Amino acid sequence: MTAEQLFALANAAVLPAWAILILAPRGRWGWVDIIPRVMIPALLSALYAGLILTYVHGSGGGFGSIALVRQLFAHDHVLVAGWVHYLAFDLMVGVMMAAKMDQMGLSRLSQAPLLMLIFLFGPLGVLLIWVTEWLMRWGTK
Amino acid sequence: MTGSAKQLWHLAAISAAMMALGLIWAMFEGRSYQETLVWIKPLKFALSFVIYFATLALVVARLSKDNLALRGTVWATAAAFWFEMIYITAQAIQGQASHYNIGDPLHAALYALMGVGAVTLTLSIAVIGWMALRDKNARLSADLRHGVGIGFLLAFGLTLITAATLSSMSGHFVGIPPKGAAVIPFFGWSASVGDLRPSHFMALHAMQVIPLIAIWVQGRKSARSWIIAVSVIYAALTMALYVQALMGLPIWRL
Repeated sequence: MTAEQLFALANAAVLPAWAILILAPRGRWGWVDIIPRVMIPALLSALYAGLILTYVHGSGGGFGSIALVRQLFAHDHVLVAGWVHYLAFDLMVGVMMAAKMDQMGLSRLSQAPLLMLIFLFGPLGVLLIWVTEWLMRWGTK
Repeated sequence: MTGSAKQLWHLAAISAAMMALGLIWAMFEGRSYQETLVWIKPLKFALSFVIYFATLALVVARLSKDNLALRGTVWATAAAFWFEMIYITAQAIQGQASHYNIGDPLHAALYALMGVGAVTLTLSIAVIGWMALRDKNARLSADLRHGVGIGFLLAFGLTLITAATLSSMSGHFVGIPPKGAAVIPFFGWSASVGDLRPSHFMALHAMQVIPLIAIWVQGRKSARSWIIAVSVIYAALTMALYVQALMGLPIWRL
């Protein structure tokens, strides 16, 4: 498959996972959770592993400087691997944060935009949830 | 703690977390909109929401029942809060206006939706104030229940007046402030021309001031009279600021 097709595949895979995580009931009908919790992260992880193992050497890039990272991502397949890395980790973190927010008793209405923030801006959403949780614990002490 | 009170505390905490995020943003950002750094508006709204939700939570935590009407009201405030904060922040990121932005059909529609959100938030104050007023089993003294009820309903009524005027205009100024003109520190209200925001601020904060007065005077024989007297004076002051702004005069000339 071309890099462009793999990119489109990864993007297509992640959307239903986030939709289920944000919208689907958890608990009694919680079995659909398996899609964002296990299936899609596993698929993305496998895709990432295959791409990075195959192409990382050929790109000639590295992690030590902006120039090396730019060269790494100048290679289309490594760029897709990097993108899939984002998608996979954001989803995995989203799943963990959803469980944390369930535990906090945060309404699903407020969970939805916070999860959307993790989907779009990863760490920014996590930071908001952490600070919120810390404030709630500080407030109920 | 009832479910609704907990949700309101969550919303206060989320707003406070948004303030923290705004301060982090401030360390990096250098862009301005209308002579104000772009991160300031989201930060001010986040601060307002902390105070708004904390005030509601303090009252709701003391109500005797957590019924569907209350849960629905809290749900509506949460939805309005999220929409307002996301849109204000998204526009600030782009260095664009959120309020009064009717530049194209999409932004005009979103500005109209902001109005729906603001009405929802304001109406919820009245609903919860009314619930507190009627709830004889609430863990509030009778005087304080009246203070909360009157304060919340007053905040709703006064805000309706200031906000309706604000939304009927094309901006919050009455007059055109000269470039680089002085503003009231922290608040950013005009110190050179009329500005409707001071009266809007006072209108909304009746929901804190009147209950605080009630906490102070509760238990006295004359408590109810004090609450009503202060409410009348407070409303008169708010309307004075409102008329002053409409006359094109600043709250304080600097």
